[in-house]
Amino acid sequence: MNYRDVFGEILADHHESPRNWGPLPGCTREEQGYNPLCGDKVTLRLLVRKDSSGIEHLERCTFEGEGCSICMASASIMSEMIQHKQVPDVRALIEGFREKMQGSETVLSLPAEDSGEDITALYGVKRFPVRIKCALLPWTTLKKGLEATHAE
Amino acid sequence: MNELIRRDFPILARRIDGKPLCYLDNAATSQKPRKVVEAISRFYLETNANVHRGVYHLSQEATDAFESVRGKVRRFIGAPTEREIIFTKGTTDSINLVATSFGEMSISEGDVIAVTRMEHHANFVPWQQLAKRKKARFEIIELTQDWRLDPKEVDRVLALKPKVLAVTLLSNVTGVTNPVASLAARFKMAGTSILVDAAQGIAHSEVRIDALGPIDFLTFSAHKMCGPTGVGVLWGREALLERMPPYQLGGNMISHVGDFDSEWNELPHKFEAGTPDIASVIGLGAAIDYIDTHGRNRIEEFEQSITDHILSRLIAIPGIRLLGPTDPHHRAPIFSIAIDGVHAHDLATYLDMEGISVRAGHHCAHPLMFKLGLPATCRASFSFYNTLDEADQLVNALSHAPSFFARRRK
Repeated sequence: MNYRDVFGEILADHHESPRNWGPLPGCTREEQGYNPLCGDKVTLRLLVRKDSSGIEHLERCTFEGEGCSICMASASIMSEMIQHKQVPDVRALIEGFREKMQGSETVLSLPAEDSGEDITALYGVKRFPVRIKCALLPWTTLKKGLEATHAE
Repeated sequence: MNELIRRDFPILARRIDGKPLCYLDNAATSQKPRKVVEAISRFYLETNANVHRGVYHLSQEATDAFESVRGKVRRFIGAPTEREIIFTKGTTDSINLVATSFGEMSISEGDVIAVTRMEHHANFVPWQQLAKRKKARFEIIELTQDWRLDPKEVDRVLALKPKVLAVTLLSNVTGVTNPVASLAARFKMAGTSILVDAAQGIAHSEVRIDALGPIDFLTFSAHKMCGPTGVGVLWGREALLERMPPYQLGGNMISHVGDFDSEWNELPHKFEAGTPDIASVIGLGAAIDYIDTHGRNRIEEFEQSITDHILSRLIAIPGIRLLGPTDPHHRAPIFSIAIDGVHAHDLATYLDMEGISVRAGHHCAHPLMFKLGLPATCRASFSFYNTLDEADQLVNALSHAPSFFARRRK
């Protein structure tokens, strides 16, 4: 048995080859997330612009961090999902993910590898309840970053 | 030694996810033998009443049971008098009591307060904040490459003639045992008051005041030595405790309360405000009895055999980093490990799947971990009810960790 058998190819791949990793010149917000209990750290860089009708758009998001495989893979998967999206849609994604991970629905098996959506691979983390917070950290950090941007 | 001992701990027979429990997080808290749990339960079922209050028979029985534990603790650590044994909520509470009360009395602007790099947050933050409040100098004794107190650093800090030195007997991260007796002898000459944090030490060896040199305070918790959570001990020299102001104010700690001023009860009650955790104190008494039945020397010998057995095997695992001395002497069976390229949490989840319970994180020792540049490690800590088989199980699982976490070749 190895890591891929337990957490799946998708998580392993995102952990080993993180997407959207690195700096983001011209970003409008840099938000740091830190879990003092386990030491997971993630830094998100956001480029948010308002269009002519006042709707905020998340044009780009990159990340860097040091943490466990689940936290880093979650950040990578999240970063792929939110590029070029309207901020209200991003907020809905964050809320949906939080509900999925903290809700009462149990996830006993890994989703099929070809489900088409990498985020479903993260749902498997629910089998390890203490690790749910690892998966959530990038998302709560994104939420904070968007709120701070909005307030500016 | 321990096939019979294991039967005293019903939890050790549990299976987790089909696998026998391999509990290696004893540095966080030890398991409790049946006798301790029964003593607590018997107190509530048969003797429960508040202590030091009632004139009725039951209250006297409860008070006698409670106070008899003070005598047991006194004998356990070889203290001269029960007046020096103060029950607290735990080690953290004990240290906060000293840092607040003794600190208030003794520390002035410009004084030096010394700790070491290997202190647990409980023996670091109260002193750091005391230094801040009093505008005192806060000095940290640094470590050598092999994780022990650096003698040059000890000399440097000693020359500053600190008012207080707070030092752990045994590191909860590296397993290092500090030479407290010789440190105390030298610092005492410089006029330093010495607090020894025995939270870890108490579980692994015989801790006796007279063997620790001229120390002034000793702190420990019941829950790391087979006792319940919620109760700890502060031992302090009577002459100092007499001069120290009370820490918390309220019932039991007073002798007279007037409208505009009050007088304090005698030791040790001056430092025991409010109703104590009576049942847990009774449980601590049962834990001391339990440990004495087996003998602290035998416990220490057995744990040394675990250290001797596992240490060379751990070090031999390719890619592993042990954050503690590789020399089996003057160390306890507490092993913090890191594997290159594998985060501590991933490693702990893997070990959990193998049925092995270890701690992953910073072990409440940020100042040490930051110095090491590690956000987290995995820690396996043994007790006298663990077995050599469990040690082998850990080594075996760690040996397979690199292949478990192997990355796909690109």
